Amino acid sequence: MDDWLLFFHLLAAFLLAATIVMYSAVALGAAAPGRTLFVADRCWDVGGLGTLILGIWLALKLDQYGFFDGWIIGALALWFVATGLGQTVQRRIASGETSAIAAMHWIRTLVVLGLLVLMVWKPGA
Amino acid sequence: MSLLAAIRPDDWNIALFVHILGAMLLVGALALVVCALAWRDVRLGYRSLLFGVLPGWIVMRGGAQWIASKEGFDEGDVPAWVDLGFIVSDPLLLFLIIATVCAGIAARRERRADVASGGGLRSAALVLAGIMLVACVVAIWAMTTKPT
Repeated sequence: MDDWLLFFHLLAAFLLAATIVMYSAVALGAAAPGRTLFVADRCWDVGGLGTLILGIWLALKLDQYGFFDGWIIGALALWFVATGLGQTVQRRIASGETSAIAAMHWIRTLVVLGLLVLMVWKPGA
Repeated sequence: MSLLAAIRPDDWNIALFVHILGAMLLVGALALVVCALAWRDVRLGYRSLLFGVLPGWIVMRGGAQWIASKEGFDEGDVPAWVDLGFIVSDPLLLFLIIATVCAGIAARRERRADVASGGGLRSAALVLAGIMLVACVVAIWAMTTKPT
């Protein structure tokens, strides 16, 4: 059961990675059609919810981790920052306001990388 | 296995980080390739294969070998889930090369003819990218559930 939770948690994280790669292509100048960005946004929505819900579930279920461990709190904080940036990018593209979208995307990319660092190193665990 | 993962030595972390980072680039770029080729953007599909999937595979595979050697899995008794990872990832390179060549030729033909087509080569690259994406999900399952 725990392994399956971890599998779906990781699968959700890969959906976030898919969004990051798709938006990176656009930020680097690729002319991606709207449908590609639609898929990227849905990957972000599902991946974001999946990582959060399954991550909290795992933290509560596994004895070796506590919900209030520093790295879990840090990961939650980074998750909210990344989600906020992602939602803002989606909203701005939908309204045709393209200013600062690339910068926000690259910051979101760094935040997701920070999440990955926390998940691998688990400082304080 | 989850407990083992929690107590792995700190000096394995960088290898694991590189492996996962490469895998994320590989899967993310494959998703972009599938979208691009499905919607007949052969040029974006080709570039994603060349500049996203291929580097992602190299980093993922290099990271896999690195952490396998740290864990002592590169010689002797290799667990089934590590074997499964190599069985999935190694043929992926062949699929990747064929898909990249197909998409490259399709993109070249499209540019010369100045029409959006791609035809059979685009479809071949799309099918191969889809198979690679499914294979990656199988590998992620093997790496997390660690079947014996």
